[in-house]
Amino acid sequence: MPESAVGTEKDREITFAQAVREALAEEMRRDSTVCIMGEDVAEAGTPFKVLSGLLEEFGKDRVIDTPISEAGFTGLAVGAAMTGMRPVVDIMFGDFITLTMDQMVNQAAKVHYMSGGKWKVPMVMRTTLGATRRSAAQHSQSLHAWFCHVPGLKVILPSTPYDAKGLLKAAIRDDNPVVFFEDKMMYKMKGNVPAGDYTVPLGLADIKRTGEDISLIATSSMVQVALGAATMLEEIGISAEVVDPRTMWPLDEKTLIESAKKTSRAIILDEGYERYGVTAELASVIATGAFYDLDAPVKRMGAMHVPIPFSPPLEDVTVPTEQTVFEAARKMCGK
Amino acid sequence: MKMKMMKKKSSPVNERAAKVSQGDNGNSPLQRESSNGDYRGNLVRDLRLEKPSFKVLQIRDGEKVRYEVESADLEAPVPAIRESKYLRREHCIEIYRWMLLNRRMETALENLHKQGKVVGGVYFGLGQEGCSCASAYALGKDDWMGPMIRNQGALLVRGFRAADIMMQYMAKAGSPTKGRDTTSHFGDLERRNVVAPISMLGDLVPVLTGVALGARLQGKNIAVMTWIGDGGQSTGVTYEGINFASVQKLGLVLVIESNLWAYSTPSDMQYGVKDLADRAIGYGIPGVIVDGTDAMQVYDACHEACERARRGEGATLIEAKMMRMKGHAIHDGADYVPKPMFEYWKRRDPILRMENYLIKEKKWLSSADHEKLIAEVEKQLEAEREIAVNSPMPTPESAAGGVYCDESCHQIKPRYAMPKDRMLGQNEKQVGLKQSEAPVHFK
Ligand SMILES: Cc1ncc(C[n+]2csc(CCOP(=O)(O)OP(=O)(O)O)c2C)c(N)n1
Ligand SMILES: [Mg+2]
Repeated sequence: MPESAVGTEKDREITFAQAVREALAEEMRRDSTVCIMGEDVAEAGTPFKVLSGLLEEFGKDRVIDTPISEAGFTGLAVGAAMTGMRPVVDIMFGDFITLTMDQMVNQAAKVHYMSGGKWKVPMVMRTTLGATRRSAAQHSQSLHAWFCHVPGLKVILPSTPYDAKGLLKAAIRDDNPVVFFEDKMMYKMKGNVPAGDYTVPLGLADIKRTGEDISLIATSSMVQVALGAATMLEEIGISAEVVDPRTMWPLDEKTLIESAKKTSRAIILDEGYERYGVTAELASVIATGAFYDLDAPVKRMGAMHVPIPFSPPLEDVTVPTEQTVFEAARKMCGK
Repeated sequence: MKMKMMKKKSSPVNERAAKVSQGDNGNSPLQRESSNGDYRGNLVRDLRLEKPSFKVLQIRDGEKVRYEVESADLEAPVPAIRESKYLRREHCIEIYRWMLLNRRMETALENLHKQGKVVGGVYFGLGQEGCSCASAYALGKDDWMGPMIRNQGALLVRGFRAADIMMQYMAKAGSPTKGRDTTSHFGDLERRNVVAPISMLGDLVPVLTGVALGARLQGKNIAVMTWIGDGGQSTGVTYEGINFASVQKLGLVLVIESNLWAYSTPSDMQYGVKDLADRAIGYGIPGVIVDGTDAMQVYDACHEACERARRGEGATLIEAKMMRMKGHAIHDGADYVPKPMFEYWKRRDPILRMENYLIKEKKWLSSADHEKLIAEVEKQLEAEREIAVNSPMPTPESAAGGVYCDESCHQIKPRYAMPKDRMLGQNEKQVGLKQSEAPVHFK
C-alpha cells in the first residue's frame, strides 16, 4: 500500500476519512482478529467512502457486507468478540444506533461486570453524528449522550484527523466495547497525520488553543466552531481557550477543571441536545471542580430541542455556530 | 386434488389461500417447486410469465473487486403483459397515465437538481413505476398506505400533487411538511390516509399493521399497504410487523420491491431463500410473486390482497421482481452493477411494456391519443413546477416550536367510530378487572 511506503514522512496531510481508514488498515495488518462488518462496507466502502480499498486489501472474509439488520449484526459482533475477535461494526448513520441499543446496553456493556469480570467484549462501533448535511430529522442526530449514560461503554468523539487515527487504534486495542462517533461533515477535513503507528490514549483531553479569558469546552463538530469563534473573539481582545475532551468516557475531568480555573469562565459546546445531554455532564464537572474560581455560571450550548429540520434556513438555527458562540462568549466576558 | 390432501385442521387462512390459487381464471397458478408438500406449494403463487434467475458474484480482478452476473436468461425475449382479471380499458389507461406522470416528474426533479434547486439528493423509482402506481391503484378510499422513498408514484395516485413532492425536495415553506422533512417523507392522516415514510427500514410494517388494528378496533377491516425493499426486509421489525398481522388477521398488504440491489449490496448477500415470497410460508400468510415491470400483474395481486384484507381474512406478502434502474440516489452512479443486468431490465421497461400493450396489442390507445396524453402530463408538470419553484423558503423563526401537540394544535378523533367497550363472550359475566397476582416468577 502506498501509505506505508510513505513511512516516516512528517507533516503529511490527509483527510479525516483517510485517517479513519488508515487506522483500520494498520490495525487489520497488525492483528488478524480485527474485522469489519456493516451495510455497504465492502464494495461501496460506505456511502461516505470511508472504507474504500479495505475490501481489496483484506478480502470479503474480513470486510463483511451484512444484510440490513443493525440489531442483528451488532449482536454478531458481541458474539464474535466473545470468541476473541475484535470486530469493528459500522452503523451507517448515528440515527440507527437506536436499533442497536439492546445489544449494546443490555449485553455488550454489562457482560464484563455481570460475569464477575470473567468475560469481555472487545468490540468497536463506528457511527456518525452531526447536522447541517440537509439530511432531515432521521439522518442528522447526534445521539452520543445515549451511550455515555451506560456504565460499561466507552465513547469517543474525535475532532481532527490526527485524533481520529490515534483514538481509533486505541479503541480497537481496548478490551471494552467502545463507540466511536465521526462527524459526517468532517470527513473531508484535512490535517496532519503521521504515517506510522501511534495511539492517542482514551481519557486524555487536548487543548486545541490556549487562552486566558474564557474556556470553550467543545466536542467533535463543535471544536472547529469553537476555534472559529476564538479567532473572532481575539479580534475584540478576548483570549479564548479551546479544550476538546476527545473521549466522553473515560473523561479527563482534571484538564477541563484546570482550564476553567485558569480562565474563570466556561461555555460547553456539543452538538447533541442540551437537555439531559453531554453539556450538562461537562458543566457539572466544571461547576463542581472550579466553583470558587468561576466568575460566571457555566453556559451550555447544544442542538435546539426539536427534531432536526430539513430546510436550510430551519436547520441552520438549530445548532451552535461561530457567530452564536462568539456572541455568547462576548456577553459572558462583559464586552 | 391438492386441496383434498390438506390436513383438515388447516386454518381458514390457508384454505382460502389455496382456493384463490386454484381458481385463477384459466391462468392456472404456476405451481412452484416444493419438496415440502401441497400446503406449501399452494401458499405461494407465482403470476409471472417468465422467471429469470440471476446470481451476482463478487469477483477479484487483480487489485479490484467487482460484481459479475451469472444468468441463463439474459437474452430472453420480453414476455407479454398478463391480462388483468379486474381492470377495464379506462383503468389501464389511467394507471399508465400515473406511471408517465411518475417518471416524468422524476425527470423534472433531476432537472431541478441540475439547476441547483433541490436541497440534498434525489431518489428515483425508475423501472419501478408500474409497481408503485398499480399497487396504490388497488387501494380503496378507506384503505391506508405507507410509502417508501421510491414510491413517489403511489403518492401521486393517492392524490398528492407533483408540486407537493417538488416542494419537499426544494425544502420550501409550501411543502406538506413546511420544509421540516424531506423527499417523499410526508403523508396525510385526515383525507388521503397516508403515513409518511420512516427512514429506518422496516419500521413502517408494524406501524401500518397498527393502523389496521386501530380500524379493526373501531369496527372496520381495511387494507393497509406498505412497501419494502429486498434489503429493508432483512430487518427484524419487518418480521415482527408481519407476524402480528398474521396472528391477528389484520389486512396488511406488504409489497416487497425486490429490485436486486440494496445500495451496493446484491440481493444474494441479503437473504438465503430463492424468492422472498417464500417467507410467507413462515409467517403463515399467502405469498404472491409478480413481475414488477408488468403493472397488470401487480394490480391483480394487490387487488386480491386488498379484498382479502377488507374481508378480515388477513395479510398478504407480495414480492414484485424488478430492477432498480439507477443508483441508490442521484449521487450514486451504480458502477458496481453489472451492465448486462441493466440491459436485460431496460428491455422490460414498465412504461414501454404498457405503452406497447395499450397501443399495439389492445389498440385501446391510438398514437394520436397517446401523444395527447403525454402532452397533458407535461403541461400539468410544467404548471406544478412553477408553483413549486415560486414557493418561498421557510423562515428561521419557524424552526422552534411545534414539537408537542397542545390544546391550540389539533385533536385526533377515532377515525371510523368510537371503539366498543369491552366485549363480553356469551358465558362471561362482567366482573370488573381481574385481580391477579403480579407474575413475580417472570423475569
Ligand atoms: C434500518 C436502516 N438501516 C440502514 C438504512 C440506510 N439505507 C437506506 S436505503 C438502504 C438500502 C435499501 O435497499 P432496499 O431495501 O433493497 O431498497 P431499494 O433502495 O433497493 O429500493 C440503506 C442501507 C436505513 N434507512 N434503515
Ligand atoms: Mg432493493
